[in-house]
Amino acid sequence: MIALHWLAGALILFLIAQGWIMIHGGFDAATTFDLYQLHKSFGFVVLALTAARLLARAAFTAPAAAPKSAWEQRLAAFVQASLYALTLAAILAGWLVVSTSPLPIPTRFFDLFVIPNIARPDAALFARATLAHALVAYAIAGLVALHVAGALKHHWIDRDDPLTRMLPRRTLPSPVREKGRG
Amino acid sequence: MVLDRLFRYARLVCAAAVLAAISLAQGPAPVAARTNWTIDPARTQIAFAIDAVGYPRTEGHFRRFEGRISVDFERPEKSSVAFHVQSGSVDVGSASFSDYLRSPAFLDADRYPSIDFVSTSIQRVNDHMVRVSGDLTLLGVTKPLSVDVAVTRDAGGGRQRLDFQAETRIDRLEFGMNSGYPLVSREVRLVISSAAIEL
Repeated sequence: MIALHWLAGALILFLIAQGWIMIHGGFDAATTFDLYQLHKSFGFVVLALTAARLLARAAFTAPAAAPKSAWEQRLAAFVQASLYALTLAAILAGWLVVSTSPLPIPTRFFDLFVIPNIARPDAALFARATLAHALVAYAIAGLVALHVAGALKHHWIDRDDPLTRMLPRRTLPSPVREKGRG
Repeated sequence: MVLDRLFRYARLVCAAAVLAAISLAQGPAPVAARTNWTIDPARTQIAFAIDAVGYPRTEGHFRRFEGRISVDFERPEKSSVAFHVQSGSVDVGSASFSDYLRSPAFLDADRYPSIDFVSTSIQRVNDHMVRVSGDLTLLGVTKPLSVDVAVTRDAGGGRQRLDFQAETRIDRLEFGMNSGYPLVSREVRLVISSAAIEL
């Protein structure tokens, strides 16, 4: 669960940065083509990771929230739920962009196989999906900032454990390790 | 006797002078008028560029082609040129992008492996320029195309060489290459530089 969280988080931030750079970076046509294919491939990786995380949440009980005021709990829950929802929305909007493009370019998942499209070319829908994809991406960037701010507040101001709990185990005195050492 | 020999010698000289004068008036011997040339792949580039909205200009070239040129320097209109380009050899600097351009969306290289240009007439424009008119066949569709070609004759040492420079624009819609239009422009710029060596 924790590994999935960090992997998905890293990939989401990578996709937002890469998505911005591939459009505004001034690359040549060949590099841009490759960056689009990479962006699409990693987008589907995040879709799979997000589905796995939601299934894991459904299968296991999520750890209890750290003690804090009611509004803080509500805000944290809202930000976390929104991150899941918007991640899915961004990927679906991206898939729609790819599918409805007046020039549908096959999505070759890491050059291994082609991922089918979910709609037919449609210039109007393409324009709306493109806008939605960009807006949702910026919204995710904003929510990630809130999510990180919340985690840092816990760590530095409240001095409780949510962030430490999310870090790799070797940073914590683990009972298993203690036993192993002894 | 001596006088006789002298007269005979004088007649021979005169005959030779007359023959030389006649041949000069006629120009070079007819066998040398038309020469055949083949293009030198190492010195040839068949490049293209196409614009799109919201996407950088795509620039690429074809790696495999062959061409034959027959040149009559005295009467350029008797010259001819034929180019055959392998559509599958398209290269835009990215393997997956080149693969996509080979697909039925653009070059349909499996169905139409060759892009051909065969001249129908050549006119002299000036000392360094000829207008080559011919038929361009792309995606199995043949359309007339006229191109101004700058020609430089390079006779410096050893084998003779002819250098060519040409630039033209074609409308891909005329050949049924409609993918992505109007997002991807209909106009394709072609820039050809080539050198031919005498066979």
